[in-house]
Amino acid sequence: MTEISTELALLVDVGSAWAKAGVIGRVRGRWRLVAHAAQPTAWGSAELRRSLIQQLNAAGDPRLADRYDELLAGANRIECHTARQPGRLAVVAVSRELSGSTARRAAEAAGWQVTVLVTLDDGRSLAERLATLQAAEVDAWLVAGGFDDARSPRALEAAALVASARMPDGGPVIWAGSAQLTNEVMLLFEGGAVSAVANPRPDAKREEPGPLRDRLQAILRQSVAPEDEAHLSTTAFARAVGVIAADGGLRVLAVDLGARGGVRVVAEPDGTTSTTVHSSGGLAGATLMPGAAGRVARLAGDAGDEAAVADVLQTLRARPASLPQTPEELSATQVAARLLIGAMVEDPATDPVDLVIGAGLTIAGASHPAQAARMLLDGVRPIGITQLAVDSGSVLGPLGSLGDDEIGEGMTLLADDLLLPLGTAVVCRGGEPGNAAMRVTVHRSGWPTPSPVEVRVGQLQMVPLGRGQEAELLIEPAAGISLGAPRRSSRIQARATGGAVGLILDARGVPIVLPRRGDDRRAVLAGWRDALMRETERMA
Amino acid sequence: MSVTHRVRLPVGATTLVEIGHLVEPAEVLATRRPPGGGTSLPVASRLHRSAAEAVDLLSVRPGTVLEAGERLAEDGNGREVLVPHACLFLGYDADDGTALIAPLGATEPILGHVRGEVMSVEAEAIEIRVAGALVAGVGGSGPAVHGELRMAVNEPGEELRAGAIDVGATGRIVVGGSRASAETLTRARAMGVAGIVLGGVLDKELRDFEATQLRRREVGGVRGDFAIVMIEGFGKVGLDAHLFAWFQSHEGRLASLFGDAGRLYVYDADPPPARRALARVGDRVIAHRRPFAGWGGELVRVLDLPHATPAGVAARSGLVRFEDGRSAIVPLANLEATEPRDGD
Repeated sequence: MTEISTELALLVDVGSAWAKAGVIGRVRGRWRLVAHAAQPTAWGSAELRRSLIQQLNAAGDPRLADRYDELLAGANRIECHTARQPGRLAVVAVSRELSGSTARRAAEAAGWQVTVLVTLDDGRSLAERLATLQAAEVDAWLVAGGFDDARSPRALEAAALVASARMPDGGPVIWAGSAQLTNEVMLLFEGGAVSAVANPRPDAKREEPGPLRDRLQAILRQSVAPEDEAHLSTTAFARAVGVIAADGGLRVLAVDLGARGGVRVVAEPDGTTSTTVHSSGGLAGATLMPGAAGRVARLAGDAGDEAAVADVLQTLRARPASLPQTPEELSATQVAARLLIGAMVEDPATDPVDLVIGAGLTIAGASHPAQAARMLLDGVRPIGITQLAVDSGSVLGPLGSLGDDEIGEGMTLLADDLLLPLGTAVVCRGGEPGNAAMRVTVHRSGWPTPSPVEVRVGQLQMVPLGRGQEAELLIEPAAGISLGAPRRSSRIQARATGGAVGLILDARGVPIVLPRRGDDRRAVLAGWRDALMRETERMA
Repeated sequence: MSVTHRVRLPVGATTLVEIGHLVEPAEVLATRRPPGGGTSLPVASRLHRSAAEAVDLLSVRPGTVLEAGERLAEDGNGREVLVPHACLFLGYDADDGTALIAPLGATEPILGHVRGEVMSVEAEAIEIRVAGALVAGVGGSGPAVHGELRMAVNEPGEELRAGAIDVGATGRIVVGGSRASAETLTRARAMGVAGIVLGGVLDKELRDFEATQLRRREVGGVRGDFAIVMIEGFGKVGLDAHLFAWFQSHEGRLASLFGDAGRLYVYDADPPPARRALARVGDRVIAHRRPFAGWGGELVRVLDLPHATPAGVAARSGLVRFEDGRSAIVPLANLEATEPRDGD
């Protein structure tokens, strides 16, 4: 008897709270994702493998039933993982609003956890500032302040505070302040302790955080997390998104919302990417957002009152590997996700893109594709015509960790299961509530041309457009309505691709405006939710 | 059993203990003189130099602690600048030629708040081996405190009421049940309770309490330290019945509570019931999310296929028979197995 054989590969993404794994194998000559499992990371790799084998035994080739364990053991394992420890940073700056906020955002975007922020206008006494800094347990120090055209004594004072509070050899110091003070700041510390970087606030009107962010990223990798960079989720995810952008000639925005951190990648059509890692931008960080519980309660409408939501947000922090069990907890979690995505996308602001990809268990593992679409749509507010998709198989990270010569091939081979397309969104802004926002005619090849769909300001409407289907759109925005780009004609032609949700016509504005009265607000929110869910379920 | 506790030392602290030293919670491990508000000290004018030239004549770097009369700068020709009192040198202003110094205040003690043996003494920290049990919480609030454990409720799911706090609780670490209102916390603090251990607390009530305490501290109306630790979760969540029984069996033992760190040490104690992430059939389990948060039971069966929660989230799940007789299907990710203690 001839023994049959097969080729399998194991894709593993180990996060801080959840581990995801997929098995890819040949099905009728094509590589497909044949098993997928997600579980709390603490359960261990043996349990993850057991889950995959159980799935393969149930759905795979029965002739291999007794051999999946052995086949998986010999399979090519492609893995990425979250950084094992966050870098802790103290930020000392002259002003809270200018140098302090710029430095903090650059640091968080580089993946650092800002554990202490002291500014010289924070209302504390010198003694309190010193005490705060002396008690700080950090891996590095960032000092910022002063414009480049002046010698700011206050900026020098900020540096002196760090010199006074930091132990000798107490971690690297990054000077990101006035260029005129660099030499003086260097003299405050032992040799080699300080590295200077271009001032992210060279004057009152300009903000140029790029060089600071790059330097902070480099220091994080060198001194705090000296790991194999290619296998870090943040790096690998960005590489995979870059390949998708280059393959499709698209401008892509991808957000990976994890349990603790978040990653935002913007990839250009030539494949170049810019990544910002928000170390506290994951679900556990929701409770850190100003007024988070109140905002979530208000935006959800069905998650309970502010006190109940506050407990849910704290639970996301305290027990990141647990799952929402009640509809109220799920609603609060998904609204928190929308706010976190919004914060990532705003910092820095993102220009219009062709494709938005959502990753991470909360978005990509949402139990209903309409929920994933809602998180992306409300979080990103992608004005214009944008495709939406999710990394439902958690394959982007592992595939992005492949070598330069393999990554494109790997992604091409798995093209059918690389992303789950949700559909296309047409998002406009402007206009008065209740007035017409746009008329959209959807032409599908082989279908009779239907009447135009009229969408009013504040409405969310769905048009069925299944996965693999395409349509030509003729969009006629009303006066005062914008789809982002300037236009010469009163009509816009565009192509839409379908997905698990379909074509979403969204005239809710950017940002979304909600009624002030609680009952009205809840009714409006329920209407939007039902519009998305109803049509998606009908398509399914 | 023992655990290692780390006491971080600020810059300039003077340690008073050595390796092998046996310390008590109230014992002073080190001292420090905290710097006060900054003052300016003329440097360039005293050295008869320009402000820019005098920077090269400084004898010390920012961050240096100077005793009264120590030299801050000298010109090599007999002129020098001495500090008038003990201070921390913060920086030099090359525009006006002055030094910014922070006079050091009175000596303050640094307590470890734990009982144990000093294992290492370094400039930045002292490590102490604590002979006792560690109970880690999911959150907390407040500084380090210590005191004897005192049970204030009879059932693990019982709410800690203000009426349960009496003078007998003064200086103690009180073990409550499923929740304590901001009113209860305020009364506990006013009665001189050192700390409170709870299964859970409503985040909003905790924040309200913290805000009240902050305002009272600002006007000088609050003295003494007070800390809270939550063991199971946020909201009205009871303590695990086994852990509650463990606390009952250790009533009267000395304990140290670190509120902000969410840690509790109980001295000379048996190990508390341990937890394991992945529950197996037959395990006693604790559920962690609503509507079963804090409930104990037995994992009767693991379902073959993923099961959707009422929220619609499909997950590997198991049938749990809770200790109150009810049964429910719960995602395994929301369960922790409790390990039996020796002799159970």
